[in-house]
Amino acid sequence: MKSIWKNYKTDIAYDELMYSEFQSRSVSHSLCQYLNSLKKEDIDKRKIAAELAIMEMGISFTVYSDEGNIDRAWPFDIIPRIIDAREWRIIEKGLKQRLTALNCFISDVYSEQAFIKEGKMPGEIINSSKNFRKECIGMKPSYNVWANICGTDLVRDKDGMMYVLEDNLRVPSGVSYMMENRVITKRVFPELLQDIDILPIDDYPTHLHDMLSSIAPHQNGQVICVVLTPGIYNSAYFEHAYLAQQIGAQLVEGKDLVVNEDDCVYMRTIEGLEKIDVIYRRIDDDFLDPEVFRKDSTLGVRGLMRAWKAGNVALANAPGAGVADDKVVYAYVPEMIRYYLHEEPILPNVPTYLCSNKDDLDYVMEHLAELVVKPANESGGYGMLVGPHATAKEVENFRLIIQKDPRNYIAQPTLAISTAPTLCKGKLEPRHIDLRPFILQGENTFVTAGGLTRVALRKGSLVVNSSQGGGSKDTWIINMEGS
Amino acid sequence: MLSRSAERLYWLARYLERTENIARLVSVHMNLLMDLPKGVEMGWRQMILINASEKEFYEKNNVANERNITRFLLADDSYPGSLFSSLSAARENIRTSRELLPDEAWEQVNEMFLFAKSNLETVANRRHRVIFLNEILKGCQRFTGLLSGYMSHNHPYRFILLGRNIERADMTSRILDLASLLLSESRSDELRQYETILWMNILKSLNALLMYRQQMRSRVKGDDVLNFLLLDTNLPRSVGCCIAEISNSISKLPNNDDLTLKLIELQTFVQSIDTRQTTQKQLRTILDGLQNKLGELHGQIADNWFLRTAVE
Repeated sequence: MKSIWKNYKTDIAYDELMYSEFQSRSVSHSLCQYLNSLKKEDIDKRKIAAELAIMEMGISFTVYSDEGNIDRAWPFDIIPRIIDAREWRIIEKGLKQRLTALNCFISDVYSEQAFIKEGKMPGEIINSSKNFRKECIGMKPSYNVWANICGTDLVRDKDGMMYVLEDNLRVPSGVSYMMENRVITKRVFPELLQDIDILPIDDYPTHLHDMLSSIAPHQNGQVICVVLTPGIYNSAYFEHAYLAQQIGAQLVEGKDLVVNEDDCVYMRTIEGLEKIDVIYRRIDDDFLDPEVFRKDSTLGVRGLMRAWKAGNVALANAPGAGVADDKVVYAYVPEMIRYYLHEEPILPNVPTYLCSNKDDLDYVMEHLAELVVKPANESGGYGMLVGPHATAKEVENFRLIIQKDPRNYIAQPTLAISTAPTLCKGKLEPRHIDLRPFILQGENTFVTAGGLTRVALRKGSLVVNSSQGGGSKDTWIINMEGS
Repeated sequence: MLSRSAERLYWLARYLERTENIARLVSVHMNLLMDLPKGVEMGWRQMILINASEKEFYEKNNVANERNITRFLLADDSYPGSLFSSLSAARENIRTSRELLPDEAWEQVNEMFLFAKSNLETVANRRHRVIFLNEILKGCQRFTGLLSGYMSHNHPYRFILLGRNIERADMTSRILDLASLLLSESRSDELRQYETILWMNILKSLNALLMYRQQMRSRVKGDDVLNFLLLDTNLPRSVGCCIAEISNSISKLPNNDDLTLKLIELQTFVQSIDTRQTTQKQLRTILDGLQNKLGELHGQIADNWFLRTAVE
């Protein structure tokens, strides 16, 4: 019988499932064998079944530019991505270490700024960061945790090492898709999930709920928690509704809330005003409170910052937490781990050139066509340059953009990020992937078992963002012990 | 419960009920026309009289034939009263209040919407239209069933009941309105012969024929049908029963003081209708009055519980 893996290319980058077209990695052995036992029509049928499930479950995200069609079905690849549990335990430890250090850093930034005073980082970086909120100086959120929910992007380079690409500490999204991907896989490959020992992921909402309750301003009686969404036109609206439903919270919009003279936050209910303790906000700082931040914001709640500073309501993530989401600050995380925790970083950073550094800038300018250049404060894969994939003209344009505002750009070597087999027009082909695990920190710290694997569906593309033609895969952390 | 959520669930239920009613109405009307001889003055035009959409229809169409009217009522997404528009509005409302309902509720409405969207073109064909309408009716029933079986009968559920029953009472009164219009002065002897068939179809459009027979134990007669559909308090689609349901839901909701009086007034109004003593013309006035009162009730519900963003 002809193998479906025939001519599968593993020389582009490290492949997560295959050593070569003839041999699978031990962790993916059962899956690869199983896929090979299926007829081509069977695989196509499963793909169609998955697409149907996505349509019916209404799993969607929103693309702003698509006029008239605000809902787009979630692009999902049925072939899962697999990681050995032994490797995962190390990554998990590394993620906890990293978020702990980041939270120490944010607390420090809004209090003594010892990290800067001791010369570990130039103060200029903080002062010029657009996510540094001077209104937050002196605040002490519960457990000194500012970033309660973090999505950290990991990539594997050709050496097989996992690197941290960035930390998303503002309003990271994707966790609902991680969970729905598993639901779909259970529908599509029920026989596989029975036989393979895959760590479950559906306890995330329980941990999210516990974390949110743990940061409430009071611990007597029932904690009232809400999810604050910018509304139906936000690209992650599906996720906001999904999470609210999963943790049994109300999904609210700014206009449902009001801050009274007592500096407490209330929601407008059919029984009158009801006091709120915790807000899981999915609105950026800028739009949170027109009294303090953008005056023209209609999404937020007037007086919310007053209520937060008076200690009457908890916000997750805390306003100002985004200061550590800056890609320039990112370069200093290994140093933060050493400084605050007196430990060596478990997960390495990708080498990063800061264009604000004269020496680094010179290097970047010389090697622009080989590097990936990113703006310091964007998300969603916007405004970046992938040197090796850009035209000479695009590279030159970017050169001018960087020179105008060096503080806001960083550069990294173009990694050969790992691939995984992906179903493309009925054939398995390698496509580049990354991984976004989600970390919760409140009273305790929790890491999802795996995370959201995003895949660049276009051949050769390295950009995995869903707004830029990316899709996703189910992520399996497999226990190999005993098998 | 958030005021905004209460409002969305209420409208979700109204739009779904409307979707179901339109489907039932068109389906029964098709059956009726198949029974009537060719040439009676009964046609598709009555379907647009019933919800006062004649003007809108003629802005887009020249002829009131079966093809145009069914497309207008079922598939026209620019006409807000069409089945597809109602279903789309229902989906939009449930999409923004998913967190209050069982997962299956959203999936059911979404599935139904996707089905309707991809089959809109087929409604022009009579055979396909029957299949289309059956699918929609089944989908609406499944929704009602799974809420009743899976959802706590709590405040959110009560707002769904409120929306459903106001819409239902309104539709029943409109169907009776249509019947009395058809039977008023202008009717010909020929149509009179088919009066029983007409009344039977009215009962069918409200799924009430079997229940009528069991309750009245007589042949189908206009006066009895009217009485049954207005006053019976056990038949789910009779006006009396809808009002009893509304009253029951409201009594369990908070801050309901102002509405209790209004409901008693409405109940008295309905129970005092005596179809044996009224002419067709008087009956139409009474039904108009009933529709207005239901409109006022809606206004009061909105004032009482829904989000009035203008009021700080």
